Amino acid sequence: MECWGRMLRAFLSGPGRRGGAWGSAYSSWRPHRPVPGLLNATELVSHWTAIFEKEGIPEAQESSEYIVAHVLGAKTFQSLRPVLWTQPLTPWQLQCIQELSSCRLQRMPVQYILGEWDFRGLSLKMAPPVFIPRPETEELVEWVLEEVAQRPRAVGAQGGPLILEVGCGSGAISLSLLSQLPQSQVIAVDKGEASICLTRENAQRLRLQDRIWIVPFDVTLEGSWAHLLSWGPMDLVVSNPPYVFHQDMEQLAPEILSYEDLAALDGGEKGMDIITHILTLAPRLLKDSGSIFLEVDPRHPELVGGWLQSRPDLSLDLVAVRKDFCGRPRFLHIRRSGPQHGCPAHAWPGPQPARVPG
Amino acid sequence: MSASGFLRFPAPLTRRCMVPWGLRLREMPALLSPGTAVTPAQMAGRKDRPALLSLDESELEEQFVKGHGPGGQATNKTSNCVVLKHIPSGLVVKCHQTRSVDQNRKLARKILQEKVDVFYNGENSLVYKDKREAEKKKQERKKRAKETLEKKKRLKELWESSKSVQGERSADSD
Repeated sequence: MECWGRMLRAFLSGPGRRGGAWGSAYSSWRPHRPVPGLLNATELVSHWTAIFEKEGIPEAQESSEYIVAHVLGAKTFQSLRPVLWTQPLTPWQLQCIQELSSCRLQRMPVQYILGEWDFRGLSLKMAPPVFIPRPETEELVEWVLEEVAQRPRAVGAQGGPLILEVGCGSGAISLSLLSQLPQSQVIAVDKGEASICLTRENAQRLRLQDRIWIVPFDVTLEGSWAHLLSWGPMDLVVSNPPYVFHQDMEQLAPEILSYEDLAALDGGEKGMDIITHILTLAPRLLKDSGSIFLEVDPRHPELVGGWLQSRPDLSLDLVAVRKDFCGRPRFLHIRRSGPQHGCPAHAWPGPQPARVPG
Repeated sequence: MSASGFLRFPAPLTRRCMVPWGLRLREMPALLSPGTAVTPAQMAGRKDRPALLSLDESELEEQFVKGHGPGGQATNKTSNCVVLKHIPSGLVVKCHQTRSVDQNRKLARKILQEKVDVFYNGENSLVYKDKREAEKKKQERKKRAKETLEKKKRLKELWESSKSVQGERSADSD
């Protein structure tokens, strides 16, 4: 059970643990309602939900359900075999739940507590401080897949498309694209060493390591991109770059501020720093009419549109904006218009694109 | 405290269609949303029965349990339950089967598709037909197994009785 490694890390940073008996008083943690004896899964979820709520832990019930389900070997509480809901748990299971829950009391994100999370059905290892994939980003991948399917591609020697992901984190975007596009190849870059390691590990777990190159790379460093050219011009650039406005950083939840890599979130003054670097770099790496797909802050479509207009030298057009499942403008499709002028914007009818004025 | 609130998915999903389902059935091929690709195989179905009708996205209302936060990177929520309603029939499906919103949305549609089929087609729905077929096959298998068992029993009896007859004859001949 992987929870032990996590417990060790939690114990090193959190309150010290004294003794191993169930229900013993922790040095800086008052015991809550007494646990009467053998409980089943449903009762345990109620028990921990109440504790989390009392301590002001967000998503009290969801957290409790995920932890209990995980210890019982399921990914979600709803997917547990119903018979397991009412069976008493073993002392070892109770112990595991206790320890995972104490991490949650420290505001550790559930994904780090479990050490894994799913993205578009793929199971990925999660480890702090590598950025945890957000559910919205699943739609970014969906959009890329739709566009690739619509576009007939010239069949090269290696099939395709060739994709560059900037800021791969745990590898979520790259690996989902690879798994859905059997002919594709991906160059995944990140400036964080932990991300490089985790993406490599996830690629191996999913047996996709043969089609992905994982390279340490800082998109903000001038001239560092030259060696990327050796892979040849790319069909697509995809990214969920740090896009939080710097002034908004301090309002982020403790789960994020205390555990995730802030460099994966902070986009500078208008959240545009990394975005503009990617857009500056992309034309040098993309094929003619190649595309860039970005996840951004809802204020960015306008800002990016304006910025691209101020940089005609880049030959990039904002062709579409797509909303996320909460109705917020979240994704951008930008296309490089090559020397032979690219297709006009309306030639690519994708589902629910919103036309950007000007 | 989790401040979960329902956030409705905007157009086109929340566009309410007041046209009755019956009418839609005739016009079905034209109404499938661009997102749902229907292959000719799906449309034709199997020889013995029609394929399960795809749901029209414009007749669905989707809701997600989402906090009031900014969303995207600025939030890290694990609640990804999807609630999907088929407006014409009023059927609702709630799916929290996977950890992925994307997968839950797809699963919810699949489950709702079957429920809608049962709702409108009752006994003639694919779900019921499949059940009856499975039950029928099960009964046939039972019957065959029983027959085989009886055959074996008869053969055994025959063998035993022929042995005892031989035994008598040899006793007689002594």
